[in-house]
Amino acid sequence: MAANAQGIAVGAAMENFSLPDITGKMQTLDGLKGKNGSVVVFLSAQCPVVKAYNERINLIAADYAAKGITFIGINSNSTETLDFVKSDAAIVGYKFPLLIDKGNVFADKLGAAVTPEVYYLDAKNALLYHGAIDNDRSGKVITDQYLRTAFDSSLAGKKIERTKANAFGCSIKRVAK
Amino acid sequence: MFKFSKFLARATTCAALAFVFCGIGFAQGKPSTRKTVKSAKVGSTTVSKVTQINIDGLKKLLKPSGRPLLINFWATWCDPCREEFPDLVRLDAAYKGKIDFITVSLDDLADINTSVPKFLAEMKAEMPAYLLKTPDESAAITMVSKDWKGNLPLTILFNSAGEITYSRNGLVKYDVATAEIDKLLTTTTLPN
Repeated sequence: MAANAQGIAVGAAMENFSLPDITGKMQTLDGLKGKNGSVVVFLSAQCPVVKAYNERINLIAADYAAKGITFIGINSNSTETLDFVKSDAAIVGYKFPLLIDKGNVFADKLGAAVTPEVYYLDAKNALLYHGAIDNDRSGKVITDQYLRTAFDSSLAGKKIERTKANAFGCSIKRVAK
Repeated sequence: MFKFSKFLARATTCAALAFVFCGIGFAQGKPSTRKTVKSAKVGSTTVSKVTQINIDGLKKLLKPSGRPLLINFWATWCDPCREEFPDLVRLDAAYKGKIDFITVSLDDLADINTSVPKFLAEMKAEMPAYLLKTPDESAAITMVSKDWKGNLPLTILFNSAGEITYSRNGLVKYDVATAEIDKLLTTTTLPN
């Protein structure tokens, strides 16, 4: 679990990064973030858990785009070709840019390990919440909306009570080293 | 007209179903032993017994029992989990009676009588099988290992004192796993 041991602590600032999107255009965190922050979400074109979450992710992204929080999708899976990722993104219809992390360099830097896995950053790129989107993969019996609750607390100027929550998901498929 | 043969066939099927599923949903928190029956014939299909556990059940399973414990966390929706299962079955066969080996599925509860036992039966898996259902997966993940984020598969080896001596977060490597288990067994005194 070496990759999981690294990472960024809640409260620490994420460095600005630059990655190509699925069209090949370079994008940066500072260029994509909203006035009230951003969410870096690790995705996969193949992972069934991500597929189960895609509709929810798009809904949350749409709800909070209007409140100044933007989503940035990242695909770090070495097993997924660009064509596969592009075709899946077209089917899903992500409402936000999807960036390619070739060689999983960015995932390694953050210690990201799961899909889906989110990093919610404030306007200064400080990490406010890290981990799962909610507490039910199936979406049928969600009793804790971790990410939405973190957004709402932050936007209301309140303390985020739960800043970290893990959930079972797919492994980011890393390149062999 | 009463047909005894049909009655007998139905009675046999009902008894087999009750035998297989009676423990499901009622055995939360109660770890099984390796003597537990793991599969039975229902009609022409062999299905494996999968026991539902909650976080308390997981805690009990993780409690040291005096000998090494190997746990594999998996799900039918996880490609590498399915891919590595034949190696897990080989490990179970190689170390039966020397270590405890259990599997914990993270599938939906709805799959506990269907896709999960079906897959285990296809794999001819004889390890005690559990399915974890908890509203706080984060707590369960941390309970297993503070370094784990919940990505599957995870195969983790505990010594007889409950300390992690080896873990593989990804496709298990059979030779590495056997070397780690062998190393642990050479330093372990099994209980009588």
